[in-house]
Amino acid sequence: MAAQLTLHPYGPDAWLLRFAEQPGEAAWQAARAISQALEAEPPAHLVEYVPGYTSVLLEFTPGSTSADSPELKALLARLGRQLGQLGEPGPIREIPVVYDGPDLPRVAEHAGLSTRAVAALHAETVYRVALIGFAPGFPYLDGLDPRLHTPRLETPRPWVAAGSVAIGGAHTGIYSIPSPGGWNLIGRTDIPLFDPARARPGQEAAMCWLHMGERVRFVPARSR
Amino acid sequence: MMAVLEVLSPGLLSTVQDGGRPGWRRYGIPPGGAMDRAAWRTANRMLHNRPDCPVLECLQGARLRVLHETAVATSGAWGALAWTARAGEVIEFPASLAGVWHYLALPGGIVAERFLGSASVCARARIGAALAKGDRLACHGNPSAALPPGVKCRHPIPLEDEFDPIDSLRLWPGPQWDQFDAAAQRGLFGQAWRVSARSDRTGYRLVGAAIAPPAGELVSEPVRVGSIQVPASGQPVITLYDGPTVGGYAKIALIDPADLDRLVQTRPGQSVRFTRMPGCWT
Repeated sequence: MAAQLTLHPYGPDAWLLRFAEQPGEAAWQAARAISQALEAEPPAHLVEYVPGYTSVLLEFTPGSTSADSPELKALLARLGRQLGQLGEPGPIREIPVVYDGPDLPRVAEHAGLSTRAVAALHAETVYRVALIGFAPGFPYLDGLDPRLHTPRLETPRPWVAAGSVAIGGAHTGIYSIPSPGGWNLIGRTDIPLFDPARARPGQEAAMCWLHMGERVRFVPARSR
Repeated sequence: MMAVLEVLSPGLLSTVQDGGRPGWRRYGIPPGGAMDRAAWRTANRMLHNRPDCPVLECLQGARLRVLHETAVATSGAWGALAWTARAGEVIEFPASLAGVWHYLALPGGIVAERFLGSASVCARARIGAALAKGDRLACHGNPSAALPPGVKCRHPIPLEDEFDPIDSLRLWPGPQWDQFDAAAQRGLFGQAWRVSARSDRTGYRLVGAAIAPPAGELVSEPVRVGSIQVPASGQPVITLYDGPTVGGYAKIALIDPADLDRLVQTRPGQSVRFTRMPGCWT
């Protein structure tokens, strides 16, 4: 099935390119394919692209590109051809987690499970890194068991430690830097998800421990 | 390089800033950079620096001691000023009547470590660090050079009652504009929005008569700087340079980039109004 690409203006010199109606496996594949195409062959005047679940932001140099420019039409056609191409599944990165977060009982109560069962269920899934965003190196992980879907906190915490493994609605993720946050904290990891010191010229992506398209498995660890 | 300034107090916040690091948002890195872009360029221009040199960005309360005679230029909240500062002089940024962010340029730009091509500090991401008492600043240029000829400007500090009330900020439609109901759309343009004290480099919060966001959850999507997001409270949050790159709130509109400087210099308690950017609304 040929997915439709549609362009939606988002202020001057930028568009949201929608590639899927709903998040999911197909959207994830499309986001990867589009990102790889933009990475490999960035169009002229593109300042940057930012992938989301069902859309990618394309931001151009001010005044360089208009909605009806042939370059933008050609880009759309090129990206459209990428959509059917399935990428190799990304590598699985293992992340040790101590499941002792302050909201583990809340998630367990919401699911009607024991805290131990919540931890086991959370560690059972291989998650997709749907995108990196919100904060530097912060992975949005897809594939959370529906039993663990838990509403965000009514009042977000003013400070959440980096390395906190958390559940927000249907998503799970890992706080990559200390920040305010409203997700349910279920555990913690020592893995530094974002470290500016790891960036090298030409290898800037190394500043993030996880990347879009990779997969993640949480490995229960003992508290030290 | 010789240090020419010492931080006596960083005030509410003092950081080194330049034009930021666009191009890395796909890794979650906010673009960063000076909050008031025009003031950043003005400070550099007054010292004949390249316009993109790193400068000091300060909030009220920042105090600096001059260690070695140097030309300095300040801009932003108290207007543009350039002079030759003498050793021992103390430069103090008070709460300004006319703005929020102060800038200080040194000859040749402030010496600072760069990350991804920019010296802009994003303290929350541990990209550099905010300045602390006792930190010293050096510059790339020659501090003992006299002020360049013709630059002895000392624009008077604009007093509040002389300062023009802020014109309406121009808006483009946001990605979810069509999903807001007519009352919300009218509410956005039909009132003066007060800037909340809970505003910072990540975003400015507005306070006013609530506007209802569209029903249902929005899939997280990329957010541009200047986006007016509407959370469940109905009180808008404007994403700024150190803010999140992706978010799940509906974006009713986007402030024109040329008008963002005026927004960020609006003090908590002051108000802004919005108007439509001509030619981009159907």
